[in-house]
Amino acid sequence: MNDSIVHSASQQAASSVVYRPSWLAWVISLFSGIGGLIVKVVLLSLLNGLVGWAIIVLFTQDRLTWAIGTTAVLALVDFIYLRPNKLLPAKFILPGSVLLIAYLIVPIFFTINTAFQKYSTGHVLTKSEAIVTNLEQNVVQGERFFMMTPTRDASGVLVLVLVDDVTGQTYLGRSTGVAEIDSASVTVDEFGDIVPPDGLTALVGDELFGADAELAALEIPLEGGGVIRTEGISGAYESEPGFVYDAERDLMIATDTGVEYADNGRGSYVSPDGDELVVGWREYVGFENFTAVITNPLVRQPFLRAFIWTITFAASTVLISFAIGLFLAKLLDKPKFRLKKMYRSLLVVPYAIPGFLSLLVFRGLLNDDYGLINKLLPFDPPWLFDPWWARFSVILVSVWLTTPYFLLVCMGALQAIPAELVEAARVDGATRWQVFKKVTLPLLLAVVTPLLIASFAYNFNNFNNVFLLTGGGPSSDDQSIAGATDILISYTYKLAFESGKGQDYGLASAISIYIFFIVAAMSASGFMRSKALENMK
Amino acid sequence: MKKQVAKLVAGLTVAALAALSTPTTSGAAASLRIWADADRKASVEKVAGAWGKKNGVTVTVVQKDFGKIRDDLKTVDVATAPDVIVGAHDWVGELAANGSVIPLTVSRTAGAKIPSYALDAFSYANAKGNKVLYGAPVALENVGLVVNTKVAKVPTSFADMVAQATAFQKKASGNFGLVIPGGDAYHNYPLFSGLCGYVFGKDAKGNLNPDDVGVGNAKLLANAGDIDAWNKSGLLSSKVDYGVAKNAFLAGKAAFWVTGPWEKDTLDKSGLKVSIVQMPKNKCDSVPFLGVQGFMVTKFAKTHGVESQARDLVGSYMLSEGAQTQLSSENGRAPANTDAAAKITDPLLKQFAAAGKGGVPMPNIPEMSSVWGDLGTAWTNVFKGADATPAKTAFRTAGKNIKAKIG
Repeated sequence: MNDSIVHSASQQAASSVVYRPSWLAWVISLFSGIGGLIVKVVLLSLLNGLVGWAIIVLFTQDRLTWAIGTTAVLALVDFIYLRPNKLLPAKFILPGSVLLIAYLIVPIFFTINTAFQKYSTGHVLTKSEAIVTNLEQNVVQGERFFMMTPTRDASGVLVLVLVDDVTGQTYLGRSTGVAEIDSASVTVDEFGDIVPPDGLTALVGDELFGADAELAALEIPLEGGGVIRTEGISGAYESEPGFVYDAERDLMIATDTGVEYADNGRGSYVSPDGDELVVGWREYVGFENFTAVITNPLVRQPFLRAFIWTITFAASTVLISFAIGLFLAKLLDKPKFRLKKMYRSLLVVPYAIPGFLSLLVFRGLLNDDYGLINKLLPFDPPWLFDPWWARFSVILVSVWLTTPYFLLVCMGALQAIPAELVEAARVDGATRWQVFKKVTLPLLLAVVTPLLIASFAYNFNNFNNVFLLTGGGPSSDDQSIAGATDILISYTYKLAFESGKGQDYGLASAISIYIFFIVAAMSASGFMRSKALENMK
Repeated sequence: MKKQVAKLVAGLTVAALAALSTPTTSGAAASLRIWADADRKASVEKVAGAWGKKNGVTVTVVQKDFGKIRDDLKTVDVATAPDVIVGAHDWVGELAANGSVIPLTVSRTAGAKIPSYALDAFSYANAKGNKVLYGAPVALENVGLVVNTKVAKVPTSFADMVAQATAFQKKASGNFGLVIPGGDAYHNYPLFSGLCGYVFGKDAKGNLNPDDVGVGNAKLLANAGDIDAWNKSGLLSSKVDYGVAKNAFLAGKAAFWVTGPWEKDTLDKSGLKVSIVQMPKNKCDSVPFLGVQGFMVTKFAKTHGVESQARDLVGSYMLSEGAQTQLSSENGRAPANTDAAAKITDPLLKQFAAAGKGGVPMPNIPEMSSVWGDLGTAWTNVFKGADATPAKTAFRTAGKNIKAKIG
């Protein structure tokens, strides 16, 4: 945005020169005629090839909705670009729209969808997966473990040669049952591998890899109940199922006690006593996550404090950065200013360095006892240690990071203000301050206010600045989850990912929707005011 | 014209598709994908590669940041998912609850060679309260009290340690007595356990009980005055972070440092004469947290059709003395296999291992995520110098908050 302002200003200055097409126009002109056609065909084919390949991958992974959706979009793209001289507006709008949907609408849809689900640690699988996993985790291990070699007999039936790992007794196991055999008929070679008796061929190489599922599913029934299951390719153990699944009544039944665990409608099997099976599944739970935010005292208590601090942080960062940026821009605006370009470049440096890098450097600089800043200062402010100092530090560093942006914006905007207006005011006898207050500032604000609002909304959710500098700390006296510098979004992060039982994606999504409404309401009222400003102009 | 263009596009599309899709024909031989961190990649490649050669399996080791292994496992695509991962034992509860890793059974002979606490660390209780094993422990690590023997003696008692540390600190400005990263619940655990603090108690079956939070337990609170005294005397400060602690000790400006075997190479190269012991007993034994690392088989091994191969690699081969000796010498951690552990020759590694005696495996239940933050905050607040929160208040509040968060 600021770029375009600067650009248009420089174009105005050059408008008296003879027309020469810019390089951009020249590049665009390449796209007409036969050259353009070739470029179009090649690009479109490449796109088709790439996306077509992606569609095949999606199909092979059983993601039908995605595959069909992608196919439809691709067909639309081909249709629009292959109709010469028709649908011209669509040709321009389409790329932007597709990207908008892919990167904005789809994530929003996902967030909303997640907010209505029980989706947290222990609730990530589908229900059918959860049933299988629970059955598997509750297998009761028996006493015995066997060294094992998988073999096939002459008719191709899978036979396990089993050697008890303590007694050395040998057995042959088939899916029909197990039979004791003479231990002398089985030998062990120098690698510790079992050599099967005559008539059986050990499975090796591809045969063994091919039998993977068969081996894993094999259950050899024992006489006294229970089964022998394989463990990998060289072991087997005695076991009994701990649970059985009753598909008709949708119950998990404990085999020893007969206790029935029923679906509680919230993604878990629960016994009448309230015992829950370890593995649950994702389940739609309506507004539960939304009400949890309101009813949970852990959330409610620090919310207001975090909310007020978030607004203070965002507003002061934006206003102070804007004030300093405007001041510096005004200074640099003087035509006779020496070394103007150098100063301008230097002032933009904080903007050019990746933010997270600056934040980590500042974290080191501001260290209380060992940081550079306190080594240089005659006294030692507890920058990151005292709640109020920490709040000050967060704002200070954010201002350092944001000011160059407003400097650039203001420099562009100041140049766009017609010099005649300022001159006219001066001729009418206005002081410099009056000109600034009555002419420059209102004109500037009309341009910059939307950017101020956008910057406010951005800082409202500026997770990095808080998390990397203070981690939300120092903690407040009540040691609640929200530290002194936790803004809403970093507080949400702690609430959803560092409390309770692991991560709670559903809760996190619900809170981020709340935050969206807060930011939206504040931005909307801000934009309405800025409209009033524009009307004034 | 229009039709010709469409035909051209169609033709080129087919060509592009063909070019993209030809090399993806699946080979007949089985292949296993393992996720390992940068430190372990080379050794895992070697050890798992030897197993692969014997069994005719192609083993691919993919490098990931250690923490990313756990995070990425949640979102990974089936096609590129790992069959086996390297991981820490305290991930087990979460991974098991998510169904990301599958239960293992080890032979009695192999299991007997692994300390039972290491096997327990990799186990998570099922609905019946039975311990289910989810990983093969291969390496153990824990912090120890590193003594700079040039300026201090190996302490004979806790009081002796405090006295020596205080004396050294007073000797010159810029000196530290005992350095422990501030606000870090892991490194401060020997102090915590020495004052009879614990994180989770155990139920009748020996499983961790998230309802029994020991962070604000009565015994600890009764002993909390010690902490206030250390703060007052300036023995410990939360302003000392990991970097400050390390630099001070390496510069010879600290008598004692609490750290673990990941700093073994640094200590070897530092030229300092050090001795590593368990922190002396205070009110209770000052035991460290134990970390166990190992291999786990993911649920994707089933979808990839290599479940039995992966189980063999993890549940059988990786537990063997040979594999663990090799992994240990490459990674600088004590092996879990007792035969392999008996043969460690590296003096520092041996001393670190001895310093872990009686240690407590970090709780592996998902509720632990509620603990780190609050316990760390309590440690930060009690060593804040003049503004410090009384330890009794800090730990009582932390215990209360943790209980509230677990719900």
